[in-house]
Amino acid sequence: MGGFGLFVTVLFVFAILMVFMSVKSVPQGMEYTVERFGKYTNTLTPGLNIIVPIIDRIGRKLNMMEQVLDVPSQEVITKDNAMVKVDGVVFYQVMDAAKAAYEVNYLDMATINLVMTNIRTVMGSMDLDELLSRRDEINARLLSVVDEATSPWGIKVTRIEIKDISPPKDLVDSMARQMKAEREKRAQILEAEGLRQAEILKAEGSKQSAILEAEGRKEAAFREAEARERMAEAEAKATQMVSEAIAKGDVQAINYFVAQKYIESIKEIATADNSKLILMPLEASSVIGALGGIGELAKEALHKKA
Amino acid sequence: MSEFAIEFWYWWVLAVGFLAIELLAPGFFFLWLSVSAFVVGSILLMIPSASLEVQLLLFSILAVTSILVWRRFVSAKSQESDHPLLNQRGAQYIGRTFNLVTPIENGQGRIKVDDTLWKVQGQDCPLGSKVKVVGVKGTIFDVELCD
Repeated sequence: MGGFGLFVTVLFVFAILMVFMSVKSVPQGMEYTVERFGKYTNTLTPGLNIIVPIIDRIGRKLNMMEQVLDVPSQEVITKDNAMVKVDGVVFYQVMDAAKAAYEVNYLDMATINLVMTNIRTVMGSMDLDELLSRRDEINARLLSVVDEATSPWGIKVTRIEIKDISPPKDLVDSMARQMKAEREKRAQILEAEGLRQAEILKAEGSKQSAILEAEGRKEAAFREAEARERMAEAEAKATQMVSEAIAKGDVQAINYFVAQKYIESIKEIATADNSKLILMPLEASSVIGALGGIGELAKEALHKKA
Repeated sequence: MSEFAIEFWYWWVLAVGFLAIELLAPGFFFLWLSVSAFVVGSILLMIPSASLEVQLLLFSILAVTSILVWRRFVSAKSQESDHPLLNQRGAQYIGRTFNLVTPIENGQGRIKVDDTLWKVQGQDCPLGSKVKVVGVKGTIFDVELCD
């Protein structure tokens, strides 16, 4: 009875251990590989699983969710010999638990190293300017190479992104200066162009005004000349008419007019309120002369009558 | 061992106790022990003359067989989920149609799915042709040409 009792007690403990060893619950998002005598046989999917204890063992526990790996910062020499610091991220998901577990040792490290070397390859074939402006292309090229290389490991690299590209400080400074100079150049060109335009406009304005002025003067001169011509013509005509009239008539008629005009002018001078008589070049004898002329006129008139 | 009698109640208490442990520390280990303890208690209720050794033997056998029974008859069949394809990324794309971004040559090409490229295998066809995903092998899709 004692022997049986001992056996049963040991069996009891063994049964409990069996239960503990055979029941495997896999949480969602994980997959466990099962090894029978050390050799991979199958993969446990999420949920309650039962394995045969003693001969079956759980090998690896794999995370089947999409995972993010940080690609550490590294120095890359570009095609134009600029040293830049580059880091990035990789997103991958285990598609085939068995392959990921047994085809590659240290999956994360392998992936990161692959990405790092490929970053160097891709970026080393580009100029710094290209590097900074064509990240999309870099990402696409990295993805296609890395995805191809990692597919034997049963993982799918869904995305590789270059996070930060930082050139050395002096290069950044000179890039900033280049940009500033470019902008300054543009500003100066614009300014100069504006000045030139303004000068041209101003010159054109003064040219126009000079032309107009000269034209005005020309016109005025023309008209003046015309006026003088006309005046001369008129004078000539008048002189002619006068001489004709004198020729036809008596010379005394002219004397009469001259005398009248003379007297009239004297009267005007005399009545002027601001001028003084002292200044008048009055020659009484001339007046007398004029009177003499009148006398002559009268004499002649009388003589004619007679 | 005869100085104090093992009553069936003790086994039932043990059954509830195991359940309580399972509740506090989930791992699905104590569930089976609890079931076994409950069954042993029930048998003891019917056959009160069974000795403690027999009871322990019965419990040990039941604990192991309960698992075997569950594995045989229930297993994964009853585990329903409203997201049966969770974490099976490739399987989620079965039945969808895509355009080739790299022509299938020598049986392999590429399609663009959700902003990432996937390798496909199928019969050779030119760039841009429409293909339907019919299966997944690891990271490679099986596709067939759709007209």
